[in-house]
Amino acid sequence: MFYNRYRKKTEGVIRFFDLSSPITKIVTVLIFVACIIMLLISIFPAIWVFLASFKDIAEFRKSATILPSDFDFSKYTKTWNELKFTRYYINSFISVTGSVVCAIIFNGLLAYVLGVLKPKGHKIVFTLVMWSLLIPPTTSIVALYVNINKIGLNQSFLPLWLAMGANAFWVVLFKQYFESLPKEYIEAARLDGCNDFQIFLKIIMPLSKPIIAVVTIFAVTAAWSDFLLPFLVLAGTDKETVMVRLFEFRTASKSTDVDVLRAIAFSIIPPTIVFALFQKQITKGIGAGGIKG
Amino acid sequence: MQQKGGDGLFKNNSSKKITLFKKNISAWMIMLPSILLFAFFVWAPLFENIRLSLYDAQGIRTIKFVGFENYIRVFSHPSFWPAFRNTFYYIFWSLLLGFWIPIIIASLITETLYFKGLFRVGVYFPNILPGLASVMLWGFFFRPGKTGVLNILLDKIGIEPFTWLTTPGWTIPLIVLTLTWKAAGSTALIYMAAISNINQDLYEAATIDGASPFKRFLHIMLPSILSLGKTLLILQIIAVFQILYEPLVMTNGGPNNASISIMQLVYKYAFQDYNYPMAAALSVLICIVLVALTLLYFKVTKNVDDAN
Repeated sequence: MFYNRYRKKTEGVIRFFDLSSPITKIVTVLIFVACIIMLLISIFPAIWVFLASFKDIAEFRKSATILPSDFDFSKYTKTWNELKFTRYYINSFISVTGSVVCAIIFNGLLAYVLGVLKPKGHKIVFTLVMWSLLIPPTTSIVALYVNINKIGLNQSFLPLWLAMGANAFWVVLFKQYFESLPKEYIEAARLDGCNDFQIFLKIIMPLSKPIIAVVTIFAVTAAWSDFLLPFLVLAGTDKETVMVRLFEFRTASKSTDVDVLRAIAFSIIPPTIVFALFQKQITKGIGAGGIKG
Repeated sequence: MQQKGGDGLFKNNSSKKITLFKKNISAWMIMLPSILLFAFFVWAPLFENIRLSLYDAQGIRTIKFVGFENYIRVFSHPSFWPAFRNTFYYIFWSLLLGFWIPIIIASLITETLYFKGLFRVGVYFPNILPGLASVMLWGFFFRPGKTGVLNILLDKIGIEPFTWLTTPGWTIPLIVLTLTWKAAGSTALIYMAAISNINQDLYEAATIDGASPFKRFLHIMLPSILSLGKTLLILQIIAVFQILYEPLVMTNGGPNNASISIMQLVYKYAFQDYNYPMAAALSVLICIVLVALTLLYFKVTKNVDDAN
């Protein structure tokens, strides 16, 4: 029964007729077991955080067990209130929303011009954008921080939002998608008197929902997880995001291990929900983006 | 006839030129904001880094031009050579673990027929966790003493607790393992997409020639993975140079600089010592190395293709 499905197998190297050899039979079972182990390794740490954060600090220090002695949700709400996580969540929400809007509009517009309109000189811009892929973003963080301070944009969400509007990888994703759209729609809209910008809003955007969804998901996870620039720009203000708060545990002496654990749990709940809802689009987007990009 | 045609062409051309000009202007206007963003967030920092690295500064205000003095200061800084040496360790371990683990994951999941979707989603899951959260999380796993999660698990199978990150020789491999745990799933998905694009006739032909499944893997599947892996390899090395918050959060570069990364040193210069010019100088050096590596890589892969 286990082997029956191999009749229809068309991917990979093992085929149904290979199973006449007992070694191959054993190997397929071993591969299945290996996959289960990989799955456990992948998801266990996240599950552990939630289990361990039900322990109180005394239990956490003393007992060497994985499971907590009880599941009391009031411990969670207590930490949530003590650390004032509502505010960090709201701040993160503001940061993520603005980032997604910027990511779609600015990268989308650039990709539209480079992929569809192709004005004189677009190749130079595209080359510069492609070279940006090679510039490691973290090496420019010092200079970027200095520049942001010089023009007085620190202590504001604005640089975080706008930074998401200059992502070479997303430009490439958008461009490839826009180039695959049928040219007839664009020509028809032009004959109807639409200008370039209207074509983008009325024709390109509605046709590009799948790629917008992929970039949105990427931007949400990137903006939610980003902490270095948010830390440098927002630390010490009332605009600190969840990740900035998490990073500050590094130097905070008052916090206990279970507080840190619960804060980690709070920080991984939203991306996990997003992932649970959109896992199909996410895993597809990775495969497609990787092949073409 | 010919004359007329030429005339028409000329007229068309000039009116075309005007519309073409208008078209170009409107297109450039549309992408101008995005270009400005790229200029501010990506290109300007590059030049600002170079400028800053040649000056003495007080905070963010540059005072006077000092030439390459900051670079000399970087080279003579006591933490520079440990960080420089560690970079090679990081690269070595990430080539050993970070490169092969996704290939193994992709090959194994391709060969299984049950819960395939669940496995794909499962191995990708660590990718969506915030990097900082996952690093802090693994800190609890690697904790020495009997409350460290891995030590609890070891205890269950009767093995003595281990010191993990506080053992100098183990620090970098464990940090790379954490990185790989997080990133491998996404690379594996890319490989799996490539595997499903392999022409089925190849397997059939190999089977008729009497190739065993393992040989088919070695001669058909693996080469197609590796041809894609070549391009991912350089991205991986670039990523290794940017390792920053893993050692910063997990070990703070210790024990005794055993895991300090070159980017972490930039962070230390800039945001702990507030010596921005030195941080900029080191950033410039890293950038030069990465661009050189990239060019070298292009040359090497081109030569390989030519030889084929």
